[in-house]
Amino acid sequence: MKFDLTIALADRPGQLLKALKPIAKYGGNIISIIHERENPSDGFVPVSLVVDFPSKWNLQKTISDLRNMGITIIRAEEIVDTSRIIAILVGKANLKDIIQRGIKNAKIIGFEVSDPVSEDACLKLEIEVPTRLLDETLENLRRMAESEGSLIILPI
Amino acid sequence: MLNVIIAGFGFIGRKLVRTFHKKIDLIKNVDSKFKIIGVSDSKGYLYNLNGLDLKRLSSVKRLSEYSEEYREGRSTEEMIEKGEANLMIEVTPTNVDDGEPGLSFMKAALKKGIHVVTSNKGPLVVAFRELTSLAKRNDCFLLYEGTVAGAIPIFSLIKRCLQGDTIRRIMGILNGTTNYILSRMYFEGTSFELALKEARERGLTERDPSYDVDGIDAACKAVILANALMNRNVKFKDVKRTGIRRVTQEAISLAKKSKFAIKLVSVIDKRIEVSPKLVPINHPLCVHSTLNAIHIETDLAREITLIGRGAGEETVSAVLNDVLTVIRETASRSRKI
Ligand SMILES: NC(=O)c1ccc[n+]([C@@H]2O[C@H](COP(=O)([O-])OP(=O)(O)OC[C@H]3O[C@@H](n4cnc5c(N)ncnc54)[C@H](OP(=O)(O)O)[C@@H]3O)[C@@H](O)[C@H]2O)c1
Repeated sequence: MKFDLTIALADRPGQLLKALKPIAKYGGNIISIIHERENPSDGFVPVSLVVDFPSKWNLQKTISDLRNMGITIIRAEEIVDTSRIIAILVGKANLKDIIQRGIKNAKIIGFEVSDPVSEDACLKLEIEVPTRLLDETLENLRRMAESEGSLIILPI
Repeated sequence: MLNVIIAGFGFIGRKLVRTFHKKIDLIKNVDSKFKIIGVSDSKGYLYNLNGLDLKRLSSVKRLSEYSEEYREGRSTEEMIEKGEANLMIEVTPTNVDDGEPGLSFMKAALKKGIHVVTSNKGPLVVAFRELTSLAKRNDCFLLYEGTVAGAIPIFSLIKRCLQGDTIRRIMGILNGTTNYILSRMYFEGTSFELALKEARERGLTERDPSYDVDGIDAACKAVILANALMNRNVKFKDVKRTGIRRVTQEAISLAKKSKFAIKLVSVIDKRIEVSPKLVPINHPLCVHSTLNAIHIETDLAREITLIGRGAGEETVSAVLNDVLTVIRETASRSRKI
């Protein structure tokens, strides 16, 4: 699991090295470090790390160690890999309903409707889905379309 | 040394005979004794062990016009049972319900040790495993390049040039008629009904348009690809199939705005499915008009796309190549003996 971990470090030599220790201790694999030395405030520099931890527990343990060392945590959140896909539905499915009810796991980021009142109403949806849930979400969409008697057209 | 019989003298059968005539020098270079000894249609057959006259055969529309030799009322089975041929080219009509009459012809030929080359999907869709094991048992070739995507050499390519690769997925636009219809809708903004009418007027549809439009033809081809190239054992009923009847002009316009075209795509991986799909317009699979395309994904070569003519007289290219393969392979076998 990838996390965005942003901490505030005192602008003194050796601080970063110290802060990396608990990350290593709890099995974190550092993917990137951005050390924003040009933006110090009150003698502190924000450092943004992307860390791959085996689980959320490892992150929490790391955070508590960092706090014990007197380091301020600015942000610690999971980075979710998302995919954007387009789906087109044809049929008199209740389009408003789909949009209001939403689609499990997916964020609707855009839609376009044409011929909304006809038998051949057509809805184009642009959705954002966590990549690891993509197959499952597409399968849900497919089942939903089938149960409404609509045709669903998905990307190859 | 090949003695060839041809079952079926329709569009493909006639075109093939003309091609043999035109390319006889090339063929005789590989097999100096090559001859066509028999040709049948639904009502009878022509037969001459010394070889039929290719020039005369090329000029007739019906076998009965060739000469008195035409044996009306006799069956193709009888021609096969003579056992004097060593290759049968099977080009009778496709029937995906029971594979007949081609299935019986192929079984009869293989049992007699006669190699088979065909462009007829029916028997392969209905009885792929049965036919391939029969061929193996009788030490015969059973080649069917012309059954899928016409002139595109998909089976030869994979079996000869990707021998060590594992095929992970095949995606294809395998039906020219539906691709024509969807392309008209995409480029001209015509309705499905009008595009279908145009396709009919241009002679692109089968007598029963459902065969194309409801994805039956594309599903049959997917079955053959899955069985032949991905070591599956699937039947027509295993294909999840949705045709293009409900694809509206509006759906195509909405797709187009997002830089997709809607195409009838056959996908073979864990699933085997034929359905309208959104294909990015810059994807190599996104071909238009009556063209076919096959996109394969393998473990080593990764991605390869083939594009070409999926039906019509170009299919003869595939059939002739299969015939030449049989000639060469049997010649090299007999040299080894
Ligand atoms: N046409 C294409 O573009 C194309 C492309 C790829 C694959 N194919 C496949 O190739 C095959 C041949 O196609 P085609 O277009 O040549 O078909 P076609 O024009 O309908 O010709 C079929 C031929 O088979 C004969 N026939 C029918 N029943 C028979 C029987 N019981 N015994 C012996 N002969 C019989 C017909 O005899 P009559 O002349 O007496 O009716 C006719 O000569 C089909 O399986 C087709 O799906 C065709």
